Amino acid sequence: MGKLVAYRLAFAVPQLIIISIVVFSLTYLVPGSPAAAMLGTAATPESIAQVEAQLGLDRPPVERFVEWFGALLTGDLGTSFRSGTPVADMLVERVPATLSIVFGGMLVALLIGVGAGVFTGTRPGTPADRIVTGGTVLGLAIPEFWLGLILTTVFAVQLGWIPIIAWTPLTEDPLGWAVGIILPSIALGLTGGAIIARQTRAAMVTSMASPFTDTLTAAGVPRRVQVMRYGVKNSLVPVLASAGVTFAILIGVSFVVEKVFALPGLGTLMLSSVISQDFAVVQGVVMVTAVLVIAVNLLLDIGYGLINPQARPQ
Amino acid sequence: MSTSATVGAAAADSPAPRQARSAAQAWRRLTRQPATLFGLLVVVALVVCAVFAPLIAPYAPEATDFDAAMSGPTAAHPLGTDDLGRDLLSQLIFGARTALLVAGGSVLVAMLIGVPLGLLLGYKGGWYDRLGARGLDIADALPGLTVGFVVIAVLGRGILVLILAIGLIFCMNFARLTRAITLGERKKLYVESARVSGLTHRQVIFGQVLPNLAGPLAVQGAVFLGSAIKVEAALSFLGLGLGEDQPSWGGMLGVAAEHQADHPWMAIAPGVAIVLTVLAFNLLGDGINDALSGRRRTPYRRTRLMGRAVPQRGEQDPTLDSVPAQESASAADADTLLDVRDLRIVADKPDGSSVVLVDGVSLSVRRGEIMGLLGESGSGKSMLAKAILGLLPAGVRVDSGSVTLDGRTLTGCTENELRSVRGTGLGAVFQNPQANLSPVHTVGRQLVDVIRAHGTTSTKQARARAAELLELVGVDDVGRRLDQYPYQFSGGMAQRVAIAIALAGEPDLLILDEATSALDVTTQSQVLDLVLDLRERLDMGIINITHDLGVAAETCDRVAVLFRGDLLEVDEVHTLFDHPSHPYTAALLAAHPTADHDVDRLPTIPDDLVVDGALTGK
Repeated sequence: MGKLVAYRLAFAVPQLIIISIVVFSLTYLVPGSPAAAMLGTAATPESIAQVEAQLGLDRPPVERFVEWFGALLTGDLGTSFRSGTPVADMLVERVPATLSIVFGGMLVALLIGVGAGVFTGTRPGTPADRIVTGGTVLGLAIPEFWLGLILTTVFAVQLGWIPIIAWTPLTEDPLGWAVGIILPSIALGLTGGAIIARQTRAAMVTSMASPFTDTLTAAGVPRRVQVMRYGVKNSLVPVLASAGVTFAILIGVSFVVEKVFALPGLGTLMLSSVISQDFAVVQGVVMVTAVLVIAVNLLLDIGYGLINPQARPQ
Repeated sequence: MSTSATVGAAAADSPAPRQARSAAQAWRRLTRQPATLFGLLVVVALVVCAVFAPLIAPYAPEATDFDAAMSGPTAAHPLGTDDLGRDLLSQLIFGARTALLVAGGSVLVAMLIGVPLGLLLGYKGGWYDRLGARGLDIADALPGLTVGFVVIAVLGRGILVLILAIGLIFCMNFARLTRAITLGERKKLYVESARVSGLTHRQVIFGQVLPNLAGPLAVQGAVFLGSAIKVEAALSFLGLGLGEDQPSWGGMLGVAAEHQADHPWMAIAPGVAIVLTVLAFNLLGDGINDALSGRRRTPYRRTRLMGRAVPQRGEQDPTLDSVPAQESASAADADTLLDVRDLRIVADKPDGSSVVLVDGVSLSVRRGEIMGLLGESGSGKSMLAKAILGLLPAGVRVDSGSVTLDGRTLTGCTENELRSVRGTGLGAVFQNPQANLSPVHTVGRQLVDVIRAHGTTSTKQARARAAELLELVGVDDVGRRLDQYPYQFSGGMAQRVAIAIALAGEPDLLILDEATSALDVTTQSQVLDLVLDLRERLDMGIINITHDLGVAAETCDRVAVLFRGDLLEVDEVHTLFDHPSHPYTAALLAAHPTADHDVDRLPTIPDDLVVDGALTGK
């Protein structure tokens, strides 16, 4: 197990360095001068020169990168051009809402996906399978933000079961927090659930038709045990193998879903920063997103090693 | 789209007519799937809307009618109007333009970047590939939508930026797919031979690799067109897509979100349009995939019941009179453990007809006896075993006849009734040692579950019994072995574990279905010795299914020879080997290679013995 962790860490470090180089070089990709873009119509040659100096664009890129990367390691991501606030502080404020709905969404996706996959995978070809599998095909086509819009309209606006703007930090009120993330998590998790359902169904069908199931059947093991213990665990292998990708997708989609639910997460911060071309904040959001994805992938790979013994390095 | 045009041209150039024929075949298959046809229909309707939007739409999308603002559905505005009084139906129709243009453009961009990149990595291999594959992995850490945000942050808003932003999200997927397929194709012999015959790299890539890529790319392209429409809608919804004046489904939803409290109906039409479009592209992708792979969505199910009631002998097909030796009913004496009577197994074909796999076989096994089932592949010996166990695969069933174990008729039993017999009455070991065990459970876990299925409730007792069983089948270091996974066992050891699992319920009859065929000769004889030893100690009846004459001769008391579903003869092993009564058996024995005499050619079953799959008498 220790070997697996070390091996994964050895991959994560260069991955982070390369991503930070890409993130750093973003400002150099802006056509013309990023300072001019940021200042917009108010730009004068003097103000542009001033902002360029503030951004460090008047110095050689390598020197600036070393400085930027060094600051990054100490948790300094620069300051927002628009608000003058340290980017790190803004991110710390925003991460909880994003993580709350992304983990909520993962949970919903796993519950729906594994549930539907086990249900359909154990009765392939039956009418029940066709209906549920058809439902997953439809689920894949539904845009998460639209589902969120429908959910708020029905449950918050029309029925009034849940406040329209419901975000409460976990540390303030755990129950209020849970209520606040229910609808965004459902909106976010449905598509992921449809993907996982398809994977689980395929793995379940294979598992139930495999020789080890015949061995267990012939030895008199009840079908319930075959399905719930052997079928489910074997089906979780491909699901866990791709859970890291699912998590990355959900983080991306959460940026859109946040807007529907007016959540104070990374997405709404990203959106306003993209519109105002506040590059330090955009860079900060991309960096923290990458770190989250890499960290979760690391954990998932270790979890995958636990469930699938052959994935552990020998 | 021009990517697939290139691919199509390359395919047409290639000399193999197989390509063209299979493409036509794929098209026929495609149009026979109702879901795919639905997808195709929606896409065609969408394209018509997009192209002829100015003719179809009742109003110009930007035409305002302030008197009718936020009107809701009326005769003049079937879907209502927005806050500026713009007709929502017209916006929806013009929105199809934006959706298709952006989605089509971005998939094109993704292919133009991804396919050459994947080709380069997959074709060059080596360091290119190792670095490139790592690069693709690293890119995984950036969620697609984040990439889209960044591109728009850097380059500003506009249709080309939007296309590039979405294209960049999907280009890695195309690169990955292309790389995987190119790697596979490159290894294939025909690319090797194409290189040797002097084709240039260019010719190999365009003539050989790309045609094979066309199908998977079409599938992926269709699915990503749907995904791109979702992304475009999301970005437009956030106000990062096209300008306010450009109608788009996402933008319409953005307006709808502002009015969700007072005019919730506004969100419905654009949402349904997106869902239908994405669904159509996904169904189209699935359809192309199925058509290319030739897969049919047929029910996949194990027949629950073991067939119909037993017909009387007299009712049977008169042509069966010529059927050779059947074991006479008198063989079923008091000692008889298993009695198979006139068992007929058929496989149902999709067209309603059926194929006979086992034709009226009768045989019996006594307690403590090892019965060999001998025959070549397809002789029906494994089907016979599966029928006894009630484990016939989907589409195969017992048509008539009976299986009786210890006086209890198994044919016609439900799954539940069979379960009480499995493990205690019957045990089975199948061919592939590793596949017989669940790869993600320890050997101990699997043994414990089997033991607990037979009444032991405490895990501790079950574990002790599991250790006993492993010792019984000759596994050393049991304490450690119990906590190991199947992949840590050699083939022979894994097969011993499978035997231990089969023995856990103390069965009266053990069926070995080619159980030693996959093992090397030394391991095979060790496992067979174990089986002989176990027979002595546990007084079981054993059916040993094999195509190996040596195995049958060494282990069996009696041997039954099967050929294409017919039982040719059953006899004591020595009688059968020394004086075979059926010419096929004699030919089979003669075909067994021995080291005793020098021969130029290995003997085979003579052709004149078998005509059109049937035996020609003497």
